This record gives sequence, C-alpha cells and structure tokens, in this order.
Amino acid sequence: MNRYDVVVIGAGNGGLAAACTVLNAGKSCLVCERHNIPGGFATSFVRGRFEFEASLHEFNGIGTPEQPGSTRELFEQLGVADKIEWIQLKDAYHLISEKEGYDYVMPFGYEAFAKANNQLDLNGEKYIREFFVICQQIRDAMAYISESKGHPDPQVMMEKYPDYLACGSYSVNEAFEALGYPKAIVDNLNTYWCYLGADGNSMSFLHYANMIYSYFSKGAAIPKHRSHELSLAFEQTIHEKGGEIWYNSEVTKILTDENKHVCGVQLSDGRIIETRHVIANCSPHLVYGKMMDPTAVPEKALKLTNYRKFAGRGFTVFLGLNRSPEELGLKDHNYFIYDTSNSVDQYASMARFGNTAAQATVVLNNADPDCSPEGTTIMYMTTLFTSDVWSDVEEKDYFNKKNEVARAMIERFEKATGVDIKDHIEELAIATPETYARYCGHPQGVIYGYESQYYDGLMNRIQMVEEDHFVPGLRIGGGYGERLLGYPSSYKSGNNEAKRTLRDMEKEGD
Amino acid sequence: MIFKRSDIPGEDIKRAMSMADKRRQLIEETPATPLVYDYGVNRLARSLHPGIVKAKISNKEQCGSDSCRITLSAVQGKFPYFRAGQFITLSSKVNDSFISRPYSIASSPKEALEGKIAIIVQKKGIFADYLINEAAIGTELSVGEPSGDFYHDDLRDQNHILAIAGGSGITPFISMMKAIKEGSEDFRLTLVYGIRKKEMMLIDPDEYKDERIRIITVLSDEEREGYRHGFINTEILKEFLDDKTNVFMCGPDAMYNFVSKQLDELGFDKTRIRKERNSVGDRKVEESKTYKLTVHIRDEVYELEAKNEETIITAMERAGIPALVRCRNGSCGFCHSRVIKGDYFISRENDFRRSADKKFNYIHPCSTYPESDLEIEIPIFNV
Repeated sequence: MNRYDVVVIGAGNGGLAAACTVLNAGKSCLVCERHNIPGGFATSFVRGRFEFEASLHEFNGIGTPEQPGSTRELFEQLGVADKIEWIQLKDAYHLISEKEGYDYVMPFGYEAFAKANNQLDLNGEKYIREFFVICQQIRDAMAYISESKGHPDPQVMMEKYPDYLACGSYSVNEAFEALGYPKAIVDNLNTYWCYLGADGNSMSFLHYANMIYSYFSKGAAIPKHRSHELSLAFEQTIHEKGGEIWYNSEVTKILTDENKHVCGVQLSDGRIIETRHVIANCSPHLVYGKMMDPTAVPEKALKLTNYRKFAGRGFTVFLGLNRSPEELGLKDHNYFIYDTSNSVDQYASMARFGNTAAQATVVLNNADPDCSPEGTTIMYMTTLFTSDVWSDVEEKDYFNKKNEVARAMIERFEKATGVDIKDHIEELAIATPETYARYCGHPQGVIYGYESQYYDGLMNRIQMVEEDHFVPGLRIGGGYGERLLGYPSSYKSGNNEAKRTLRDMEKEGD
Repeated sequence: MIFKRSDIPGEDIKRAMSMADKRRQLIEETPATPLVYDYGVNRLARSLHPGIVKAKISNKEQCGSDSCRITLSAVQGKFPYFRAGQFITLSSKVNDSFISRPYSIASSPKEALEGKIAIIVQKKGIFADYLINEAAIGTELSVGEPSGDFYHDDLRDQNHILAIAGGSGITPFISMMKAIKEGSEDFRLTLVYGIRKKEMMLIDPDEYKDERIRIITVLSDEEREGYRHGFINTEILKEFLDDKTNVFMCGPDAMYNFVSKQLDELGFDKTRIRKERNSVGDRKVEESKTYKLTVHIRDEVYELEAKNEETIITAMERAGIPALVRCRNGSCGFCHSRVIKGDYFISRENDFRRSADKKFNYIHPCSTYPESDLEIEIPIFNV
C-alpha cells in the first residue's frame, strides 16, 4: 500500500504510542523506523551472557493494578498493559554526595519517605508532608487543565488551585527558597534532578515537584524483560490493530502540497508514501531543518526551534561482572553519586570532558535477581554532558576517549562505595553521545530532548501547545514534545499528538 | 494556601499568568536563521558507522597453501576506523543467490582510514570459491561495517592476551599484531598458532617482531625444527598463563572444545576466555524435510522452500532474497525478524536473543532452523 491515513516517523516511545492511538480510532497507520528494532532508547542488547537495558533506570507512573498510575491507565487504553510484566522497586535511591557527606538510602512510599526525612532534620517529616500537599494540588490542577482541553476556568483555578498558580512561575531553587526548608531536606528533594537534567535555577518547580511526587507516592517499577518488552508489546499491539512498521526505513523528506499541507513522506531509498497526516517522533531540528522543504517551514517554527536549548547528551557504561552483588558488596538497586547536591554546580561541571560530577547507577540484579546468570551482576552507570564536547573527538581517538571517561566513572563509583568493580568486568559496553546520535539520529547525541528552561518548561509548553503547532498535517511528539523527556512523558506526548491529529482529521474531513 | 514567595499580595499568581507572554516575546526575539542539526558528534557517528559500504576487490594474493588474501578498496563511502579483531560481512549476488559471509579483518585500523580492508579467505565453500576463482579484480561487493566484540579492551581485559589461533583463525590476531606495531593498540600478545603444516601458515612470524608480541607455532601434522609439534595442550598453555592474562581463541569448534578442556584442567577462570563465534552451519536431522517459507519485506511477499537442516538465512540466500545478515552466529541481532506463524529451532549456544524477543516470538534467521511451514517478516536490505 502506498497511502495511509497517518504516517508516524520513528518507532520510539512517542511514535509507538501515537500509532496505537491512531489505530484505536480505526485509521490506517504506517510507522517508519530507521533502525532495525522498535523503541528508540527503549531497548536492550546482548553481550556474551548478559542482556543489558539500554536506557531505563526506573519507570514511574505505573503504580499497581489496584492503584494504577497514569501511565498504566494510558497503557490500558492503548491495549498494551496486559503484555507487560512489571517488577516493583523497593527503595527509591542510595544517595552519596561527597561535598555534604551524605550517604543514605531513601524508601519509596508516601509514609515511609516522609518518616525517613526525620533522620535528616528533626522536623523532616513535617516539611515533606507540607511539600506533598502542594504536589497533590499541582497534580490535581494539571488533571483539571488537561480535562478542560487547555481552557481552564480562571475562577476555578484561583479557588481550587491557588498554590499551583502561586508557585507556577518559579524555578526549583526559587520555590524551595520560598518554602524555607532546611538545606538537608532540600538537598534530599533535589536528588532526582538529573532525571530531568536541568539545573535548579532553570528547571520549573511544577514540573520537578510533579515528577518526584509521582516517584515517592506511587513508587517505580521496571519491566521484567527490559524496556525491549515495552517496545515489543507496542509493536505486537500495532500489528494486531492492522498497523505496519517498516524497519531500516528512514524518512528523509516530509512532502507538502501547494497549500503547504502535508501530502506524503519520502524514504531514504526514494520510495514515496502518500499521507495527509504525519506524526514525527523526532527532533524538530531535523523535521524543520532537514526533512521539510524550507519554503513550507514558517518563520515562527524556525524562531521557536532556534529558541530551544538542547538538553543532556548521554553517556552510559554497561558492565557485566563475574561476581554476584552479594560477593561484590552491592546492596542497592539505584545509586546517585554526586560531587555535590547543588545542581547548579553539578550542571556546570558536567559541561567538561571527562568529568565524573554526577552519575546515576543501577545494579539490576538488586531489582531482578534473575536478570543475569548466577554469580554475575549487571550494572550500568549513566551521566550527562551539558555541552557539546563530544563533537571535538576524532574518529581515531574515539575508542580511547570513551574508555577514558568510562574508567573515570567506574573509579568514581568504587571510591564512593568502596566496592571493587574493575577486577570483575567480564563484558563491557559504552554508549557515548556518538552512540545515541547513531541509533536515534539526535543532534549532538542528546537524549533528553529540549531542556526544561525557565520560560520553556512544562507549564508553558502545555499551555502554548497549539501556538507551537505550525504545519497543517504535521504534529511532533515524543521526548522533544510538550511534556518533555522521560518514558511516561514520551508515551503521553505521542498519545496527545495522535489525539490532536485525529481532531485535525475530523476538522479537515479526512 | 501554603506557597508564597513575593510579599506583594497576588504577585506570585500574576507572575505565573505572565509566563506565556514572556515566552512569546523571547521566541519573537530569536532569529529565524536556518536550523543547525548536524554536529561533530553526528558526523563522527556516520564515519564510525557508515552502514553498508560499496567496495571493489583491488588485490588478490595467495596466502599459505590453501588461502587467498583479498584487499578491498572503498568506492562509495569510506571504511571506518575499527577495533583490531573485528569482522566485516561481505555480500554479493552469486548466480541466482544473494550471499553474505562474515570475515575477520586481517588489516590494521589505520589501513581502513587509508581506504583499504583486507581479509583472508580459505578455499572452502561456495562464497569462498566465488571470491577466489570467479570475482575478478575490480568486482564490486557490499561491505557491512566492522562489528563484533572480539578485540582487546583495556578496561575489560588484562594487559596480556594469550591468543590461541587455529588455521585461518589467526586472522583477527594479525590485525591486532599490526595495530600493536603501529601503536594504535598497547598490550602484550602471546600468539599460539596451531596449524597442520608449515606450508599452510598464513603469516611470516618475522614480520611481527616487537617486544610485546610473541609467536609460538604448533604444527600438528609434521615435525620441524624450530616449531612445536602436536596439539595446544596444558604443557604449552601453562607456560604463558598467569592471573594477569586473558585468553582469546579463534578457530574451529573442535579446537575450542579441546583447548577449553585443557584450560579447565589448569583451573583457568572461564570468564576470562573470549571465543570468536563461528557461523551457524547445517544441522543434522533425522529426516530431511522441505517446508514452505513465506517472507514479508515491507509490503512485498516472497514464497520459497526451506530445508529443515538449513538455517532460514540459507534458504533466503539461495532464493536470491536480499536478506540482511551480519554475524551468522545469532549474536549480533542485525537480522532480527518477526515470526508471524510457524515453528522453529534455535540451539542453546547460538540463542543470543533478548528475553523479550523470546516472549514475543522474534528470531535471528541466521541461527534459526524451520520446523514447520513458516511465515516471517524481515527488515529490508537498506542500510
């Protein structure tokens, strides 16, 4: 077939969710993916006797079947929920921050987390309970705004969600300063900052508070068969609903007609697929800068895209160790190892090549003891680069450079925990910004889309989503979308853009 | 109401209400210059991973008594820098078939940057016959990018590698020795090279003189002065093993079985042994059967016959279907394909699928045999 109601560019999380949404409405849909497997970053790979998770540290928003989180509800709507087996995580994290001398474990669960803060401050629990009241209001307000399809009643907002409005314009650091909590409590609450990758002066408080509330109150989980299970669950659902996915099939052009409305896509081998509706699960930089005819790109789209700031460029060390976690002395699933809990300082250090200022490390066996053969351990350490330093690396130096950074990260972990890693490496893989650029085509090897900025954070993006839409027949979703980065956000963004596409189709009579 | 930052009543909310206007203004002030989407990192990714490169045979020379050294020069695209020990996959139409075979690279990473990659082809099999006897100088082939994890890694491996090569299994070690001599690798390599007779040797050890390289040749079928005789046994191995050594092996499966037993006897840590995996070949079956294989590539459908003793990739190659394949041993995942209907068999030692692939019924056709009529979807040969 050469004509589809909708063509989705990219089988990443946003693209897969978009395809399911479109198919649910009875429309025909083709997904074109440049790689040979679905998922984008949501995948896994095998080295020797280890299967490594490519990107996911922990998934929030799943909850339990009895108390489902918002992403579980979305997965149910999309028809993938029953295909995924989840493992709930016990503890939130083990934080080690050198400058402040922090070395403690925080549990998941509203009550447990609140109480655990008493070890940091005599009134820790009280502050956390107050903080959670604000968080709950933020969630409720966002749900109300979403229900109102972007047109909330100002009167209702003022009466029911005053805290949402009052803190809405502030950064994380400004908001915590206003709340006046002691440093130890604020530092603890800041621990998850690297999951969003913007420093506390830039990152919107609403966005961050909403995320950590979801983590602490609903907990987090991982799919039993790595994130590849999520991607294949979506793929199977797409096939069941009559959709198609073509691999090794990169879309190089989005075609537009004389009215500058989308009329098709062209693949790298020249083949043309007709469609009036495209949902792109990739960077607007590529969409407007590379795939489209410049005359079909409005000036406003260029301005907005130039205004955006690229977020973190990924770096991950994957280790298959020939000892069990018990033998090595690794007790926890999730480690955050920081030079300091000050996210502004951390962010600045992470612009330099070879820094080890911050790492998020997962010991997978401590969540899923069966994930690797007996007597072995899978762990992965992730950091971000907050500048484009990897663009200066030359081809012949690349292998040495990536080992240099990986070695420093491993040694940093060893120093912080006292655990010997280097003598037990059986398998090793290293993903650098080059790797992420290769597999997903992102400029600079960015893994976090556009960074959450003071005026380009969650609230503004959601509020202005129709203003940020420029080309008739084209919607852009996924990690670069209005809900920013992260697994739940990308799925939700793909789902939202597909719903908008369906509305576009209805309006246009397609 | 809990939150308050400004002392002026209503100011916090007023501020939130003005955020969108401020953003509008900032966007309006941003220039509408062309977007930059291609950076050094993106160019590096394309250099290191060019996909399939078109290359021509630029040289052929006899190498030992039963092999041929073939040099390939890139004609479209360029060869990437690689890690000494990796392999490439050559693909070409041969008569009515479309065949792909992996070969360890025999040249150095530096030579690849100069546009050349060499392989050593043993006179064995249909594709080798084509390369050695039919393909003239100038013949074009598709060359898959260098792959595999059979290389020295200074984070993973000790500084000393005991390399055990059987016959043409010496090839990846030739690349490593060249890289050591050229300075792009820095580790000690002791090569124990097992081969039947001296005339079959694929290297002249004198060419690899370096204080970090040591070569011990073991002839199994003849006795000669200056050479060891027999098999690679505990006597020989224990001379070069210590706890600061990793073992790398490349050769036939029979050698792996024999040497692994010897290493086991010496109590050597299995997790410090790395074997280059061999291609999955035909299997023994009780009764030979032919099944119908239906292959979907995008919106095209092919129907062909598949024998139960042959891998699915072999059936597709014979039918001339341009099927993607890289390692031919099940490990790289490049030929990842969806099973729509039917039964199949994968041996445990060549099942490197992800656990979700098993759950959702995906296979690597290069290591999978049909057990019934089978319908699959494979990725297009278009990278």
